[in-house]
Amino acid sequence: MKDELFTMTPDMPAMSPEMLARWQEELRRNSLRMKHFSEMVMNPKEPEIGPTPREEIYRKGKSRLWRYASKRTVKTPLLFVPNLGISRPYIFDLMRKGSFIEHMTELGFDFYLVDWGVFGPEDNGLTLEYAVTKILPRLAKKALESSGATEMSVLGYCMGAPLSLSWLASTPEFPVKNFIDMAGPVDFSQVGLFGLWLDARYFDVDKYVDTLGAIPADMVKMGFKLLKPTMDVSTNLNLWWNLWNPDYVAGFNALNKWANEYLPFPGEFFRQWVKEYYQQNRLYKGELTMGGRPVRLGSIRCPVLAVGAKEDNIAPPGCVKPLIGAVSSTDKDYVELPGGHISLIAGRGASVHCWPKVSSWLGARS
Amino acid sequence: MADNSSTQQLFDLWKKQVDEGTQAWLKMAGQGQAPDPQAFWRPFMDQGMQAWSKVMTQGTLSPDLLAQWKQFLDQWIAAWSKVLEQAMGTENFAQAMGRQLEGFLNVSGPVKKAAEQQIEAGLSTLGLPSRTQVIGLAKQVAGLEDKIEGLEDRLDAVLARLDGLAGKKAAG
Repeated sequence: MKDELFTMTPDMPAMSPEMLARWQEELRRNSLRMKHFSEMVMNPKEPEIGPTPREEIYRKGKSRLWRYASKRTVKTPLLFVPNLGISRPYIFDLMRKGSFIEHMTELGFDFYLVDWGVFGPEDNGLTLEYAVTKILPRLAKKALESSGATEMSVLGYCMGAPLSLSWLASTPEFPVKNFIDMAGPVDFSQVGLFGLWLDARYFDVDKYVDTLGAIPADMVKMGFKLLKPTMDVSTNLNLWWNLWNPDYVAGFNALNKWANEYLPFPGEFFRQWVKEYYQQNRLYKGELTMGGRPVRLGSIRCPVLAVGAKEDNIAPPGCVKPLIGAVSSTDKDYVELPGGHISLIAGRGASVHCWPKVSSWLGARS
Repeated sequence: MADNSSTQQLFDLWKKQVDEGTQAWLKMAGQGQAPDPQAFWRPFMDQGMQAWSKVMTQGTLSPDLLAQWKQFLDQWIAAWSKVLEQAMGTENFAQAMGRQLEGFLNVSGPVKKAAEQQIEAGLSTLGLPSRTQVIGLAKQVAGLEDKIEGLEDRLDAVLARLDGLAGKKAAG
């Protein structure tokens, strides 16, 4: 039996052929790791992002409305409203076979994306109210005109959800067919660490905005990095572990580009966002007004789906779920899916858990 | 596949060391002494050495060892993340962060103002438009865009009314 086993020296323990094959595989992976690592360092390639073809429908200031190519077999168009500032919206169409937009357009949804744009010092006076009462309704109107439909579904992701809710709840005449809140905070009394850090007792938003004018991208980055200080360590550890796999490396490059591209906030927008939403929780309490009109979540009567992510530390499930109790809709549902704030909508897990859930719910009502 | 039980053993060992380290650190902080980061990290280093020596004495080396080590590191990071999250979720941390930001604004505010004034003066001397002027121009363009959109909306409303009237006339 001993003769069948491979030994390098008589003193070393015997190694079975299976074990030898596994070591060879490990060595192969290590050489691939070195190869990919040197490529990343010596010859970094710009990742290909945003693979789904699209056309610009309208532009208002820095903001744009994009329409994505699809068969348009689903009758009701969908308007996707992401966060303003913080990060770029190409995360929703990151790469082929890893794109929420690609998933939806392949199913025939007429998909419109609000791209708020990158704001500069000239936009420091842009208020949240302006975004909600001027930019958003304008882009939604143009989306409706362009689609030729009479009704439209709205999907708000992250901050895009409370922004869309503020618009829809103050404009009951807008023909909204369905509303989806994906990881968007509604009850800001349960918003976790950001809620504590931005508490009026510790965070003087007026002084902040009056001094800096805008919230620089570096500050935004610092805030998000602080929220999960171990994120960079675990990201790099996972990269090293999977560095032999070219598909993983391609995905990492695209995601890493997005994850390091932070955007600033217009000062006045940030002031209103922190004061009225985080510190005073006025959206949920029904004390908000937009363009002189009251914002009442109870005035929303269309079918509503709220999606929370179990490990979301930006918009924990506890602050997303209360939407269901606040709207007057009879057809309403809350689902809690695995993942964090980003992995809810982007990545392999999202394509398994979240995208099919959202598209099937919406498809049945569109 | 990695051996989960041995990974769990390593993790339990590490957890014990974390508890000891945290207690040592809290004890020092409670006594008003300046925290010694080494006191916090030493148990981790000890644990790392113990873990490795345990692994190295377990017989034939297999590539599973790497998977176990990766799993161990994942758990280590997750546990650290939890510890940090708890620390950052306290009122004391929020208060300290607020004070830090306030201090930063107190320093950066006057510096920013002085730098802006100097740049404005420099550009003015060179006969170039200042940042304030460019921003003002951009705001004017945005205002014009709003006005055009307002006119467009009113025109749409008038056209819709005319269409309605024409429809009524044709029907009558």
